[in-house]
Amino acid sequence: MFKHILLPTDGSPLSEAAVEKGIDFAKSIHARITGLCVVPKEYASYYDAEMPGSLKEQTEAECKANAKIHLSVLTKVAQGAGVGCDVVMETSDHPYEAIVNVAEHKGCDLIMMASHGRRGVGALLLGSETQKVLTHSKIPVLVFR
Amino acid sequence: MFKHILLPTDGSSLSQVAIQKGAQLAKSMKAKITGISVMPEQKYYLYQTGINVQEKDERAKHHKLQANRNLAVLEKAAQDAGVPCETLCEISDHPYETIIGVAEKRGCDLIMMASHGRRGVKGLLLGSETQKVLTHSKIPVLVYR
Repeated sequence: MFKHILLPTDGSPLSEAAVEKGIDFAKSIHARITGLCVVPKEYASYYDAEMPGSLKEQTEAECKANAKIHLSVLTKVAQGAGVGCDVVMETSDHPYEAIVNVAEHKGCDLIMMASHGRRGVGALLLGSETQKVLTHSKIPVLVFR
Repeated sequence: MFKHILLPTDGSSLSQVAIQKGAQLAKSMKAKITGISVMPEQKYYLYQTGINVQEKDERAKHHKLQANRNLAVLEKAAQDAGVPCETLCEISDHPYETIIGVAEKRGCDLIMMASHGRRGVKGLLLGSETQKVLTHSKIPVLVYR
């Protein structure tokens, strides 16, 4: 039924749990997965004129290194489960756009994500990026809590 | 992975598609289905003095008929896919509460529903009941578009 699942992750605990469940799910329906990690393009400190270029570079390098770790964890779990896996790192200030675009581009037929990510406030009932993916995606979305 | 899918339906065309896809998904995972149709309680008639009891009964009958028809479609889809299926008809003015309540009571591990139902305005990016189920459900929700 679903053949290719997109699993966006930001490394937050709930998103890691969604990755594990997503891989279980993919295994049970014999689908393959594409893992995605979106790193920010501009940083909050972009508005801070005092921020030296070297610090910006350092922040960027750290974000990318973290993303690589998240994706390698995902690849490892997928390999362990024997699920076909592919990973993508995108740079964007609007993760939901990157998620929806990568899903279309890669021909995914399901997006599976956590209800809250890194920036989710527990009190918010649905995370903002998840909400935006839900409203803009043309393919089905499975929301994990 | 998922063993028991709750499929709410209101008979709208998108919800019909979700039913077909839900039956296919259940088949591929060897899961069972519980179909549910929620009819309005019509409490609001209390405030509308212009509507007499007879008319109220007639509308209730009409709703019941419609709900049964929707559930029959679901049963047929499940039968065609060879998936075990149970259906129930509930009365409530807040479909999302009933959907979540039934999912918990029956031990469902996934709710699969259309992004828009009968009352969905296309301009709204996510239907109101789907939104409410998403924000209040503790079990995963697959939103079909």
